[in-house]
Amino acid sequence: MVKLRARCLLVGDTAVGKSALSHVFHSDGTLFQKNYSMTTGVELLMKCVNIPETDDSVELYIIDSAGKETLVEACEKMWGVPSLLCLVFDLTSEQSFANCSQWMERVRAHCQGLHVPGALVGNKSDSSARREVQASIAQEWAESQGLEYHETAAKEMENCDALLLSLARAFHSLYQERRETIQNLSPG
Amino acid sequence: MADSSLGSSGVKVVVASSGDENHPPENILDGNTKTFWMSTGMFPQEFIIRFAELTKISAVTVDTYNVKHLKIEKNTSQKASQFESVTEKGKGTSAGVRLYFIFQLNGSSATHLRFIITAGYDHFVSVHKVNVKY
Repeated sequence: MVKLRARCLLVGDTAVGKSALSHVFHSDGTLFQKNYSMTTGVELLMKCVNIPETDDSVELYIIDSAGKETLVEACEKMWGVPSLLCLVFDLTSEQSFANCSQWMERVRAHCQGLHVPGALVGNKSDSSARREVQASIAQEWAESQGLEYHETAAKEMENCDALLLSLARAFHSLYQERRETIQNLSPG
Repeated sequence: MADSSLGSSGVKVVVASSGDENHPPENILDGNTKTFWMSTGMFPQEFIIRFAELTKISAVTVDTYNVKHLKIEKNTSQKASQFESVTEKGKGTSAGVRLYFIFQLNGSSATHLRFIITAGYDHFVSVHKVNVKY
C-alpha cells in the first residue's frame, strides 16, 4: 500500500470552468457552483483518489489558479513545481483552446525539466449547440503535448470522475515505472 | 566500519515524510544498498535519524538516486525538534544518476540528524544508505 502525493496544477483561460470542476471534484460530484465568481488568486483543494484494484491512493493537491491575464503573473509564484497538469478550455470558445499553447509554455517554465503528465480538458460539453472546438482537433493537440484528452460538463457533473481518476492514474503509473527503475539499479 | 549497518548499532529512523510499505525508511539503515526508501511525490521530503546517545560525527555519506539538493540539520536534544542547520549540497547532473553525498561534520555532536531533500531530478527519489563516520 502506498499513498502518493501530487501537486496538480489547474490552469486555463478565465471562465472556462476550472473552479467549477475543482468544486465538483471536491464534493464527489454533488455540488456545482451555480453563481460565477472569478478566482482572483490561487485556491488549494485536496482530494484523495483510490486507484481501483490496488490498495494505493493518490492525494491530489489541486491548485486552482486564476485564469485572468492580469492576475496570472502573481499566481504563478504560488505554483511551485507541479506533479500533474490539468489544462482546461471551454468547448464553446475557440479562443480559450487557442490559448492552451501559451498555458503550456507557462507551465513548462515551472517544471524544472521534469516530465509532467496530465490532461487537456474541454469543459462545457453540455452546450453542444454552441460548440466551437471539434473533439478530434483537441485530441490531436493533446497527444502532441503528451496529455490525455477529456471532455467534461461540470454543470451536469459528467465525466468529472473519469478525469480525476485519469489524473491520479497517470501519477500512479509514473510512480510504478520509477520504482521499477530503482529496483533494477545496480548496487552502488 | 564501512560495511556495518547503522541499524544494528542502535540508530533509528524516527520520522519519514513518505511511506511505501514495500520500501520503508528502515531500508536506509540496513546496510544494504539494494534496498531503499522512496519518496512518494512532491518536495521537500525528509527523514530524521536518532542515535542511541549524543554522538560525535566526523562525516556522513548518503547514497541516493535522483536527489538534486540535500540539506542536513542536527540537534543535541532527546526530542526530534529544534534543529540547527549543518550543511547543504546540490549536485549538478541530470536525471537517472546514482549520487553519493558526502558531508563533513568535523566531529560535531548530535543526537538527531535531519535530512531534507529540497529538490529532485524526478518526481520521485530514493535513498539507499546513510553511513556515519565517527
